[in-house]
Amino acid sequence: MPDALTLAARASHVLVAILVASALIFAIVGAVMNDTFYLRLATEALIFAGLALSVDILLGYTGLLSLGQALYFGLGAYLSAVVLIAVPSFWAALGAALAAGIIVGFLGGVIADRVRGVYFALITFGMAQVAAKVVYNTRSLGASDGLLGVPIVDINLGLFSISSASPAGFFLFVLAFVVLLYCLAAYALDTPVGRLLIALRANERRVPFLGFPTRSLRLTSYVFAAVIATVSGALYPMLRGFVSPELLFFSTSGNAVITVVLGGVGTLAGALYGSVLLIGLKSIIGSWTEHHLIVIGLLFMGAVIFLPRGLMGLVHPYVMRGLQRWGGP
Amino acid sequence: MTEMLDYIQFVLAPQVVTGLVLGVAVILVALGLTIIFGLLDVINMSHGEFYALGAFASVALGAIGVPFWLLLILVPLLMLPVGYIVERGLIQRVFHSGDRHVTTLLLTFGLGLVLEDVFRLVFGPNPHKPETPMPGAIELIGIFLPIYRLFLIAIGVAIIIAVALVVYRTRLGAMVRAAAFDRNMAASLGVPVSWVYAGAFAFGVALAALAGVLLAPIYSVFPTMGRDFILIAFTVVIVGGMGSIAGAVVAGLFLTQVQAIASLYISPVWTDPIVFGIMVLMLIVRPQGLFGRLGHA
Repeated sequence: MPDALTLAARASHVLVAILVASALIFAIVGAVMNDTFYLRLATEALIFAGLALSVDILLGYTGLLSLGQALYFGLGAYLSAVVLIAVPSFWAALGAALAAGIIVGFLGGVIADRVRGVYFALITFGMAQVAAKVVYNTRSLGASDGLLGVPIVDINLGLFSISSASPAGFFLFVLAFVVLLYCLAAYALDTPVGRLLIALRANERRVPFLGFPTRSLRLTSYVFAAVIATVSGALYPMLRGFVSPELLFFSTSGNAVITVVLGGVGTLAGALYGSVLLIGLKSIIGSWTEHHLIVIGLLFMGAVIFLPRGLMGLVHPYVMRGLQRWGGP
Repeated sequence: MTEMLDYIQFVLAPQVVTGLVLGVAVILVALGLTIIFGLLDVINMSHGEFYALGAFASVALGAIGVPFWLLLILVPLLMLPVGYIVERGLIQRVFHSGDRHVTTLLLTFGLGLVLEDVFRLVFGPNPHKPETPMPGAIELIGIFLPIYRLFLIAIGVAIIIAVALVVYRTRLGAMVRAAAFDRNMAASLGVPVSWVYAGAFAFGVALAALAGVLLAPIYSVFPTMGRDFILIAFTVVIVGGMGSIAGAVVAGLFLTQVQAIASLYISPVWTDPIVFGIMVLMLIVRPQGLFGRLGHA
């Protein structure tokens, strides 16, 4: 009989598998109909799902609300754009983003992990805000215009290569990439260290009594989340061909938090569903009115008050019950 | 020698005055934030939007001919019921959930988003610039000072003193401090705690709106104005000590002067990182801030 955490993780796997299956159907339909717009939009949703995953690792598992995860997303995006303009190589861009994510994530973590609770939220908010201001005013990074003219890259996967200009091909690549990030996060959170993070969220005072250092645990989860956000950000300029300082602004961090809360905190799958839901809602409402923030803000407030476990809170228990029945005697 | 005097007269002194104007306004916004945190244990992420709401209300009411001095009284009064309803209708709904800090922060963040978009819907995305209610400037020991800025500093100081007097010298203030120190004990002694909570929230929101009215003629009024203001206000609250009135005043004056002077010597771009660096240092050396929390001193 699996324990509750394993069961919850399995339920998330099932839900992600359903999402992947629908995404594959979507990709086939999109490719057959020769669509560009919706495939690109869905790719963007997946990239922001990576950012949401990193917020969920912190908020849903470690119990830390980060209001500045855009710092790492923007770092990855800018670094990837700079590298791609110099050398159009996917692996170089990804490697640079990965290294930067670890280094900057460690530095940011050392600062932010000194405090907890609301102070943590505010310090992460402040760090991202300062980084955004600096980038916004740095001429060599394009200042307020951002960096334009990121070239199309061919992603060499050994046996074959995918061009970032191909809507369906790049969509499938990003899908695989984000699912890989999901698997990585799900695996890491199921290891003993990952379970200690969940213990931290449940009762931070108790963990040291069990003989574990809370500081380094929190730092580990912070760096891990930072890396996930950075590598997700690295995909952004490949999709859009440019980066702008908006990627670092509070609206980006805030959107990621909204995504996780709407989708369901602490499920990982909720981050992916939430991102698809949010981008879908934005484009649907956006075709009616440009004031989509009113609707999304109200939905978000409604979710905080009435649906604290988000969309996944509605579905997850049923899947878990089904799994239990199916796996039980 | 004359060069140095000229420098002080034409460069340094005006910059200090500009910093002081900003400082007084930041203190008004930070006071509301810190009272709400000290009493309710709630981070009001929509505080910047209430500041913007005050500015927009003054633009709208000013357009139909309400005189400026009346706006200074009317707008904060109008904000009281708004704040009361927000506390009662929204914040109390999640106030007793397990993770109060996070849920109330998220809820007020959502409210801020909605308000910001409502401003854009009603007033359009472009900045409004109300006329200065008191044009002209006076010369004081060779330094030109716009009259309105002097007025702003004077009235701001008066309001800050009034708030401190109310909190520390009146029966109402004693009830507020008692409720902040121990909610249950205050309730058993007959303090209407839920009323005090909603009242304090409304009061904090009204202070933010008042800052909006005062600053509208100096800066322009636009939908995202609250967002730019809130980071410095939060920094002030953290450096001064969450929930501390004296802390908000001291940190507000100090940080805005640092900003003003730093933008003279270093590029204005770096003022935010410097101010933020001070906040980080403060969190490392003395996480509780300069002064103690409301009701705990």
